[in-house]
Amino acid sequence: MKVHVDMSICLLHGQCVIAAPEVFSFDDDGGLVWVKEIGEDLRADTEAAADACPEQAIVLEG
Amino acid sequence: MTETAAPLADAPYLDVADPAFSIRSQAVKDARAQSWYARTPYGIAVLRYDEVQKLLRHPKLRQGSHLWPQHNGVTTGKFATWWCNMLLCQEGETHGRLRRMANPAFSPKLIADLQPKFQALANRLIDQFAAKGECDFIADFTEPYATGVICDLLGLPFEKWRELADIAADMGLALGVTFKQDLPKIEAAIARLFAYAEELVADRRAHPSADFVGMLVKANTENKDQLSDQELLDMIVLAIFGGIDTTRNQIGLAMDMFVQNPDQWALLAERPDLAKAAVEEVMRTRPTVTWVTRAATETFTFNGLEIAEGTTLHLYGQTAATDPAVMPDAERFDITAERKPHFGFGGGAHHCLGHFIARGDMTEALKLLASRLKNPRFAAPVEWLPDSGNTGAIRMPLAFDPA
Ligand code: HEM
Ligand code: SF4
Repeated sequence: MKVHVDMSICLLHGQCVIAAPEVFSFDDDGGLVWVKEIGEDLRADTEAAADACPEQAIVLEG
Repeated sequence: MTETAAPLADAPYLDVADPAFSIRSQAVKDARAQSWYARTPYGIAVLRYDEVQKLLRHPKLRQGSHLWPQHNGVTTGKFATWWCNMLLCQEGETHGRLRRMANPAFSPKLIADLQPKFQALANRLIDQFAAKGECDFIADFTEPYATGVICDLLGLPFEKWRELADIAADMGLALGVTFKQDLPKIEAAIARLFAYAEELVADRRAHPSADFVGMLVKANTENKDQLSDQELLDMIVLAIFGGIDTTRNQIGLAMDMFVQNPDQWALLAERPDLAKAAVEEVMRTRPTVTWVTRAATETFTFNGLEIAEGTTLHLYGQTAATDPAVMPDAERFDITAERKPHFGFGGGAHHCLGHFIARGDMTEALKLLASRLKNPRFAAPVEWLPDSGNTGAIRMPLAFDPA
């Protein structure tokens, strides 16, 4: 599954980091980084993150 | 680039403890123009957009409400125990764990199913006073609506709303200046809320369901180590506590903005598709949560200002989101304008968990109100809570022309 974050609407709340810490994280400058392509084992967590994102900035494909 | 801030003693001073203080006063606007922060009797007030935005997510700040009972000399009892353990007062790992467990119950998909119920509820309430052309907008609409929404969420019949509203009001005393004196009332209220929560949980254990309480019970059943029986009850109590007064106040504040801006009300009636944007514009210009509280977990420097460990910061979301320096026409209430995001639901790790619900129910309410109540105006002076902290109307005598 492909993971996109629309950085034009992401407000860096970090709810995705809470929901799926193996996929999303903050770098040292506080920027959001994420795994762009994930396996089945992380699907449930990543979907939970997309659901929880307050700005609904996360788009999943596949 | 970081600008160098004036030393703390030179920063503007705001006497927030004065009962007459208003967060919309010229003094606050002047302070914002002069400096990104001000001194207050409670600590530091942060006044500008970028600083509020950054500090809401700052790793050296934690949510600042955890010491509230202790500050009021309340260290034992059901309320203090619940308060210190519930989501809002947790940080880091524990906060993340509780939030992960609660998320499915607050998912936008689950909320979409409730939309028709919100509409039915709003219409039912409006039906009761529409023909009269007047109402107390708080007692007759926002309070039963906000509580009715929580009844829908919990799967309780609407008839329970009065009882729930009374319990919530008694619980709300815990946030006031007379917290300690009111403690017996507060303890009685929270005991009743827990009894409700236990009943709801027992019901869903016997009849599993995919609704709000059902999802929380599922999380608890499947992951006892992640969401204990007590944490499950705490979460349900928090949803009731956190969801009622906020929504009641926010819809009342929406009406205030529209009474001041009748052209916008007429526009909303014509274009119900604007209701969603209207909710955002109301929360930008007139949020019920005018600031959120944070506390420094260690000493750090931000924008040239040294913030000592233990310092309390109030992030003035309302002041920041109406700053003319970052938004053209920032003071104008315009439901068609493209705006920067507001801070009415906070931000960062503690961003309001109920915002999909609140946005959904307020959108439906505004849509129906605008179509059924024409030309709303105040029939008598509105009675207000202080214009700071969590604000709103206590009584709002409204006259209108029935549609
Ligand atoms: C218009 C209505 C509402 C407003 C303005 C509002 C506002 C807020 C704000 C500003 C916060 C963050 C506080 C902070 O950072 O210090 C918050 C947190 C929270 N809200 Fe809301 N809220 C509303 C409705 C609701 C509803 C309906 C629910 C539940 C059904 C709810 C549940 C919560 C919870 C559980 C938290 C704590 C989140 C955490 O600490 O992770 N809220 N709310
Ligand atoms: S939860 Fe959404 S808004 Fe927040 S950091 Fe993740 S993608 Fe961005």
